[in-house]
Amino acid sequence: MKDKLAIVVRKELKENLRSVRYWAIIILFVLLYLASSYAVGFALRGFGGPIVLTRRTRAIMQLSSSVVNTMAYVAPLLGIALGFSAIAAEREKGTIRLLLARPIYRDDVVNGKVLAAVILIVLAIGLSMALATPLSVVLQGLNVTADDLLRLMLSIIPATLLALAYYAMALFASVNAGRSSHALVVSIAAWIFFAFLLPMLASFVAFYMLGPPPAMAFNATRPGQMPEQLREYYSRFQLIYSRFQLISPNDRYTSLANALFNVRERTEAYESLINVFSRRWIDAVVLLAYIAVFIALSHVFFVHRQETR
Amino acid sequence: MAEYVIETEGLVKIYRDRSGEVKALDGVDIRVPKGVVFGLFGPNGSGKTTLISILVGLQLPTSGTARVLGFDCVRESVEIRKRLGLLPENYGFYEHMTAYENLEFLGRLDGISKNELKRRILEVLEMVGLSEWANAKVKGFSRGMTQRLALAQALLKDPLLLVLDEPTLGLDPQGTAMFRDLVERVVKSGKTVLISTHLLHEIGHICTHAALIRRGKLVAHGSLDELSKPYIEARGFLYEIAAPGEVERLLHEVKQLDGILEVSLVNEKVRVRAKRDIGGELARLAGRFRVRSLSFLPPSWDELYQYYQGGGWE
Repeated sequence: MKDKLAIVVRKELKENLRSVRYWAIIILFVLLYLASSYAVGFALRGFGGPIVLTRRTRAIMQLSSSVVNTMAYVAPLLGIALGFSAIAAEREKGTIRLLLARPIYRDDVVNGKVLAAVILIVLAIGLSMALATPLSVVLQGLNVTADDLLRLMLSIIPATLLALAYYAMALFASVNAGRSSHALVVSIAAWIFFAFLLPMLASFVAFYMLGPPPAMAFNATRPGQMPEQLREYYSRFQLIYSRFQLISPNDRYTSLANALFNVRERTEAYESLINVFSRRWIDAVVLLAYIAVFIALSHVFFVHRQETR
Repeated sequence: MAEYVIETEGLVKIYRDRSGEVKALDGVDIRVPKGVVFGLFGPNGSGKTTLISILVGLQLPTSGTARVLGFDCVRESVEIRKRLGLLPENYGFYEHMTAYENLEFLGRLDGISKNELKRRILEVLEMVGLSEWANAKVKGFSRGMTQRLALAQALLKDPLLLVLDEPTLGLDPQGTAMFRDLVERVVKSGKTVLISTHLLHEIGHICTHAALIRRGKLVAHGSLDELSKPYIEARGFLYEIAAPGEVERLLHEVKQLDGILEVSLVNEKVRVRAKRDIGGELARLAGRFRVRSLSFLPPSWDELYQYYQGGGWE
């Protein structure tokens, strides 16, 4: 049945690579990346006060911020765009009846679509970065090293995981929806929940549990000058907030991707990858859990669903 | 190979939703012999499409069993689909792909080798009259052209059993005629065809066997001869004589025969309905009056359906 899987993958790739939607997302990514890079560059140039940024730190911050910020929005969009119509559109157009009338196991249909989505996501993210990074470097006049480029390439991994997490959720919605528009609404609702509602909810709960911050006057011109009581309040606030955000694929992505660009203060060298992973493995696990759980559920529901339309 | 290509026993399908439950199939037992054109007749919503969906594994029965080509519909549906060609009622093609590309994709899934597939695609496109449109995108196809393409995809793997759900829907008279020829060709090659339709007048006459279905229940089931017997016993034998010059004298003689129920003259043709088989006597009269033709008119599927279900379509 491997050949059937390959046939579905090829068809999915062909279909998506011909679609305007796919290429529109890549163009959107490049434009957002450039805009973000410009905005971060603008903000850093105006950075005054006691903290002095070296040319190298500025370059790293500018690139990492551009990548992470842009991906945080575009990767879920890419995942949703590929997933919401995966099964629902076949049902809507009636192609599913011709497809399932073939000697093919339903697992192969889902697996073929997932495999094609992985390829399309890696291709879209890789291509977008390959286009946007040199443009950003040239336009902003950044001083980029081979190490920076390696980290940028590695940042494709968390971005792919984030896109796949949303793809898996959208696929699950698609498997269970009669219409692709319904699956799209559900997928976007999930994204709104994780991107906007969950952070608000987390802040609200932390605030509810801890009460308002202690009122005290202080004059902070350097970090660490905040009174102990206030620092403790914010640290507890952050703890509650991050516990809630632990289930957010968006937050896990940001945490993992930012960790890749962590630099040691004195040497300005990147933190080793082993260190990054040993500190942030939970981020990867949460993202992988979303992918595994929703793809498994999609399998179960699709295999057992009766195509009555 | 089983004696019957399709066998169902006590097949029940119940759809449940918030508003309650609907029994789409209620204990259906049918047997489709090999090498026939079998009609599944019934009005819209009678359960025909549900039955077909169960036969090909798109849906599961609530209870009962179904075997197609000797394979169980629940446990061995992939084996069935290797040997069965389906034209579903509600279907669609990948519109941005050409007719050829659509068939290529579906044919590959059918397991047809690359070289064989190319030959088969051209062959089936020729059969359904779409050769010129092979490289046109399906997006621009009319309803009739799409229906022809749907027929082509069902024929692609040269199936042992061809299942066609409302196959003439959207076809013009020329398309319907093409479809009838095609079915005859398929049956001549030893294959079996199951046709589900509510348009009995269009394709009913090409069926040699049928199951009449109403509200999920089987009303009658068998060959045309088997189903005609009770009808003829109740309504009588119907003959048609192409009238000669001396039609008045012929009418007079026919009326004298024993068991005559009704005699009428329609468009220079004498129609005789009798309680018993008067074929021999009519043949003798036909010889004396030198009539152009004499034929026995079996009941149409339409008449049989109305007879068995006690009324017309609902």
